[in-house]
Amino acid sequence: MWSSCWTYSLNLSSVPGDGDSQSRWCLSQVKGAVDDDVAEADIISAVEFNHSGELLATGDRGGRIVIFQQEQESKNLPQCHAEYNVYSTFQSHEPEFDYLKSLEIEEKINKIRWLPQKNAAHFLLSTNDKTIKLWKISERDKRPEGYNLKEEDGRYRHPSSLTTLRVPVFQPMDLMVEASPRRVYANAHTYHINSISVNSDNETYLSADDLRINLWHLDFTDRSFNIVDIKPANMEELTEVITASEFHPLQCNTFVYGSSKGSVRLCDMRASALCDQHSKLFEEPEDPSTRSFFSEIISSISDVKFSHSGRYMMTRDYLTLKIWDLHMESRPVEIYQVHGYLRSKLCSLYENDCIFDKFECCWRGDDSEVMTGSYNNFFRMFDRDAQRDATLEATWENGSPGCPLKTWRVSAGSRRKRNEIGVDCLDFSRKILYTSWHPQDNIVALATVNNLYIFQEKLN
Amino acid sequence: MLGKGLKRKLEQEEENGVMKMASPQEVSPTCYWLQRQTVLNLSLLKLHSHPGHTDPGLARRVLITNTLRHIQDELRGEEGVLLPPSVPRQQPPSSPVIKDSFSAALAEIESLCPTVGITALFSTEAARSLTSDQNMPDITSSTDLINSGESRNTDPDLSEMHSSVDPPIALSDSTQSALSHTPSFLADFSLDDFLFTEIDNILFDNTPCSSSLSGTSGTSRVISMVTDDLVKTLTGYGNGGTSQSALPSNQTFKLDLNELDHIMEVLVGS
Repeated sequence: MWSSCWTYSLNLSSVPGDGDSQSRWCLSQVKGAVDDDVAEADIISAVEFNHSGELLATGDRGGRIVIFQQEQESKNLPQCHAEYNVYSTFQSHEPEFDYLKSLEIEEKINKIRWLPQKNAAHFLLSTNDKTIKLWKISERDKRPEGYNLKEEDGRYRHPSSLTTLRVPVFQPMDLMVEASPRRVYANAHTYHINSISVNSDNETYLSADDLRINLWHLDFTDRSFNIVDIKPANMEELTEVITASEFHPLQCNTFVYGSSKGSVRLCDMRASALCDQHSKLFEEPEDPSTRSFFSEIISSISDVKFSHSGRYMMTRDYLTLKIWDLHMESRPVEIYQVHGYLRSKLCSLYENDCIFDKFECCWRGDDSEVMTGSYNNFFRMFDRDAQRDATLEATWENGSPGCPLKTWRVSAGSRRKRNEIGVDCLDFSRKILYTSWHPQDNIVALATVNNLYIFQEKLN
Repeated sequence: MLGKGLKRKLEQEEENGVMKMASPQEVSPTCYWLQRQTVLNLSLLKLHSHPGHTDPGLARRVLITNTLRHIQDELRGEEGVLLPPSVPRQQPPSSPVIKDSFSAALAEIESLCPTVGITALFSTEAARSLTSDQNMPDITSSTDLINSGESRNTDPDLSEMHSSVDPPIALSDSTQSALSHTPSFLADFSLDDFLFTEIDNILFDNTPCSSSLSGTSGTSRVISMVTDDLVKTLTGYGNGGTSQSALPSNQTFKLDLNELDHIMEVLVGS
């Protein structure tokens, strides 16, 4: 269970730094158990800020969702953003059993997507491998009291005992946050759902599995439209699967999907009902000098994200981050090496299955920076404008509170200097797959295997 | 998990200080061949091991299958140049060094050893099957056996995909039918693959956490029957000049042949 055993937030006083080996980022909070013994169910599998950044949702392998809320009171401190504390916890998905295939359906939360807020309640979509659910999270801070026919403890009064009538009134009560499932969108996917994306029209959303993409209306759970189907007539001919999909942030007719062969297809729903014919195909020709047995596997798109502006799109494959201009299909406009030193280790990474890890990536609110996770609890920040990058570590062990994070370097061979680590010393069991960037402020949330980390940028 | 054979191969690579996964032109042919074999074995291992009660992801299976196919295509391309030992060896001018050394070594061994009944027969079968028509009437019979043996966990569509990359079981069926006809799976799978993967699968079956390959007692018995012979033959190779029946000691061998012995040792685990 999420026992937020401890969390420390930091007063970000100015600390003299080393210069360029320091970043602007500081650790703000760590959530989760402190000990190394982590139950499988507690492993985080999804992290997502909502559209205002006030709420931060996490999903885990046990099918639970924990929502953190940013406190309003500590905004008086100009140097740091407010803390996030637990707001609501609920069980989103339960394990199921597919009797036809004799297989368990994992309750692990694959993705969480928030709906833009329309009223006092918050809505989010969460999905496991097979079923998507719409959850309503609402606050209750008052309740009606003074019923005529009911006692305060709920017992009914006999009408004959009434002498006077009164109008029930709302009385304040302790804040209660309730999560209730409003819709369950089930039985539309034969294969494992890897993505959900809410449309800008605020009425529809898409869900993608390995071979198909379906379009849903939020209000209807008994029907969905299939808009992409790449299943071949003969499954033996299958060579490519869908790995990620997203709606364009501004154009409600446009969406993209990435494939296991490293290509991204942009589709326009106005063109036809079934978008098997893409409108644009974003594919970079392979560099023959780097060809290896694993070329295809490492080119597989693990995440695709549009920029907030809608002009660019970012793709993550095993070793790189690529930024694409939607107007140019032939090649990306920017390529960032996340951990190129792994290129010589691909065989080992294939053996221990790490080569199949699916890393997410995210944009800063103004699209000037991007970030993604790596191994050894490192995460990578790329400043697009300044063309600078930094490797930071998610750890609560080293470094004093308030201190900006030191940047790391990875060298070939064994460790030589401080804040430098050899590629052979990297811990591949500690990986950061899930990340989310606050939509407006410079706050990032990321999940290591054990914990949720929240980092803030120094404001002064 | 199959530890010894595979791990030793990787350690060998590291000891030699060779850069992994370089393009074929940059690395020594033996090293590339070894790398390819490692990846081939790993891929087969991954496809055959069922992780648990949940459905293993389709994306992962497709990626592994594609990697396997790529290697098989490469091997098939080389197999086309590789001539059977019964035919006098010619020198195709365009063939690279690796094919010559390996085919030469294999030819030398097989010409010296009269006990190599199975391997010679297989190589001729393989050569013949490559040129023969490739429609697959035999798949249905092999597939039936696979489907009954394999767990019912897989989607009917996906089990077909499994069977197309499930050569060891299919090959053992073929050997059971007294090698009278050439099953089409042989065309997809070269001689090298059969020799080495059968051995790896045997070692794998003997470990506690063996996969569904041993789930069907029938097929595993067949596999062990066939490959017992092969193991005996190949351990003969692996012992180098020490086994009298395999390699007469008064022969002089090229450096390449010693390399081959070394590789055999590694694979057989002797």
